Amino acid sequence: MLDVNDTAQADDYVDPVTSDPRTFAAKVNSWVPHDIVLKDAWFPLAHSIAVTKKPVRRAVYSQPFFLWREGEKAVAAEFHPAEDVKTAKSEYSDAAGRYPVIEKYGYVWGWFGNPANASPEHIPSLPYLPEDGGLPKHMLGTVRFDCTAPLSLENLIDLTHADFLHADVVGDEKMDKETVEVFHDSETITMVRTCKNKSVAPIMKMFGGVKDDVQQVRQVIRIYLRSHAAIAYGRFDPGDNVQLFHPCVPETRDRTRLDYAMNTSNVKKTNPFRYMMPKASYKVSRQDSSMTSPQSPRYMQPEKRKDLHSPLDEAGQKYRVLMMALAERQAKGDFAYRDNVSADCSEIIGYQKP
Amino acid sequence: MNKSVWWAVARSEEVNSDKPINVNIGDDPIVLWRDHQGTARALEDRCPHRRAPLSLGCVLGNGMIQCGYHGWTYDGETGHLKDIPNLKSDAKFPKLYRAQAYQVVESGGFVRLCADTKATPIDAPSQSLPLSGSVDVALSHDQYLAALFDDPSLVISIRGVLFTPYLMSELAEVDGQLVLERSCKWAGPHWPSPFTSDFPITLRISTDPVTGESELLLRDDAFKPLLRARVAPVPAARGVTQVRWRAKLESQRSGLRAKLMGLGQPFSVLSSVDGAALRVLRPSASIHAAALRETMTNTQPAEAGVA
Ligand code: FES
Ligand SMILES: [Fe+2]
Repeated sequence: MLDVNDTAQADDYVDPVTSDPRTFAAKVNSWVPHDIVLKDAWFPLAHSIAVTKKPVRRAVYSQPFFLWREGEKAVAAEFHPAEDVKTAKSEYSDAAGRYPVIEKYGYVWGWFGNPANASPEHIPSLPYLPEDGGLPKHMLGTVRFDCTAPLSLENLIDLTHADFLHADVVGDEKMDKETVEVFHDSETITMVRTCKNKSVAPIMKMFGGVKDDVQQVRQVIRIYLRSHAAIAYGRFDPGDNVQLFHPCVPETRDRTRLDYAMNTSNVKKTNPFRYMMPKASYKVSRQDSSMTSPQSPRYMQPEKRKDLHSPLDEAGQKYRVLMMALAERQAKGDFAYRDNVSADCSEIIGYQKP
Repeated sequence: MNKSVWWAVARSEEVNSDKPINVNIGDDPIVLWRDHQGTARALEDRCPHRRAPLSLGCVLGNGMIQCGYHGWTYDGETGHLKDIPNLKSDAKFPKLYRAQAYQVVESGGFVRLCADTKATPIDAPSQSLPLSGSVDVALSHDQYLAALFDDPSLVISIRGVLFTPYLMSELAEVDGQLVLERSCKWAGPHWPSPFTSDFPITLRISTDPVTGESELLLRDDAFKPLLRARVAPVPAARGVTQVRWRAKLESQRSGLRAKLMGLGQPFSVLSSVDGAALRVLRPSASIHAAALRETMTNTQPAEAGVA
């Protein structure tokens, strides 16, 4: 095969997850998410509909991103067009202070890192979002978290939390059996949780027309590590599938912006669930915030006491180690994508295109 | 901070089985609740799983506390992890799986904690005074005590009573406590303090040199008690002092002024301090207190507690 990309160190790469268990445990317990700043990634900075002629301000690790449209085209710049005192330009934008931009899946994605490495193939695959966007406004929303983005994602990938924190929305921990499977590569981690005869989500009882008391549940969380963006895909039987895109943009090291898209176009137009479910995010995110906000300062500095883990934490532990492995590689100057994040992941998440 | 010290962090009525509460000892967060048998329990307010505050969780029917995040469940007496509901298993957890527990003693309407699980349980007064309250004051523990010694009106209020600058006995050590007695007078028209020949009432303050827990006794000139109070200041996060207090107005009080104390609130601890007055408050008793606290705590560090 022709050597077309820059994965020069390909051969000495060791999968941090399959390495020695003691090294793995030591890594897990040295987790200081605030210290992790990953570069060379696309971030879904705004819903396409939020970007108009008038510039809006976003940030990635405090680095300013002003987004607006020139004609139809979305642009991203380091400086506001009306800014007269310009500070020194960073290395993340071109001579004119512009960042690489792509519009896809109904989002404006800005590249944070070396502009020369920006390539469309590093945009994550999001199978159930239309590539050209166009989802109705009621399926979109914005939520902010007062915590570091990796904590929000670690929260998401351990779904046992939902049984306690979101029991009033998605149902409690009562079920016959729960299994968790975890898959990863160097750029992604995917967790599949299967629950047998789980208490029906109250929101599905109330608005989704589900009459039964238990349902079969298969939930998938797939995180694109560098982009800090997650797919949250749930299959419910009986009940409708839930198709959520859950990006966690690290606007600063301890504040996170979530411009979500919940595609409920699979739900019958006459079913109120189609309109209610996307709005549940406001309630659910407040509940998450009640835990991740007080957690965040407790993860700002190295901590002598190790976190305790259960077998259900496999995904969260691997997420930590994979993030740290990426950070270590970047510290050594290796910014290459070892795995392709834009390849269609429908099969991995168990999604069938309609 | 000395681990073997007992701190009165809560009043009994604040601790229940419906909702755990959060208190501090210094910067350490602590969760407090009452188990199914009515025993007050305390753990570090930090779940060892993912560091969430346990005080956001709930008390289960078996008296244990369940973290609100992923449901890990702890026994309050030992701090041991007893259940991870989603594991659906009866397997025992290793000893290491525990939250940090505090020793708890409840008496006289106060809940007292000690971080040292091997410390000797404290012998605290058992009489509970009926009036009570809790305030958090934005003043450090040391400064709070200094204000109480130098001008009580900055931190407490007794109905109808004015504190004068005249001490009847300067601050000194009495049986391991810091004790002073201050002349007081009834509010209303009267000669200014410097021209008064005799004062009708006095306030005796007896303070533990380590915790600052203080017993207040207001007496008339016949040496009859009018009011008793126990004020427990505890150092909390960000230099705040948590103050829990209880008080009782004596039923037999002679004289019109003393009788009028029964109308409205006879005693209260102020929730904030007047910074302008505090800044220019001249230190007097607090200078003795600082010196005495230092010598006393150096000679008997482990035994310090409430008299
Ligand atoms: S943080 Fe308490 S159970 Fe997970
Ligand atoms: Fe959540």
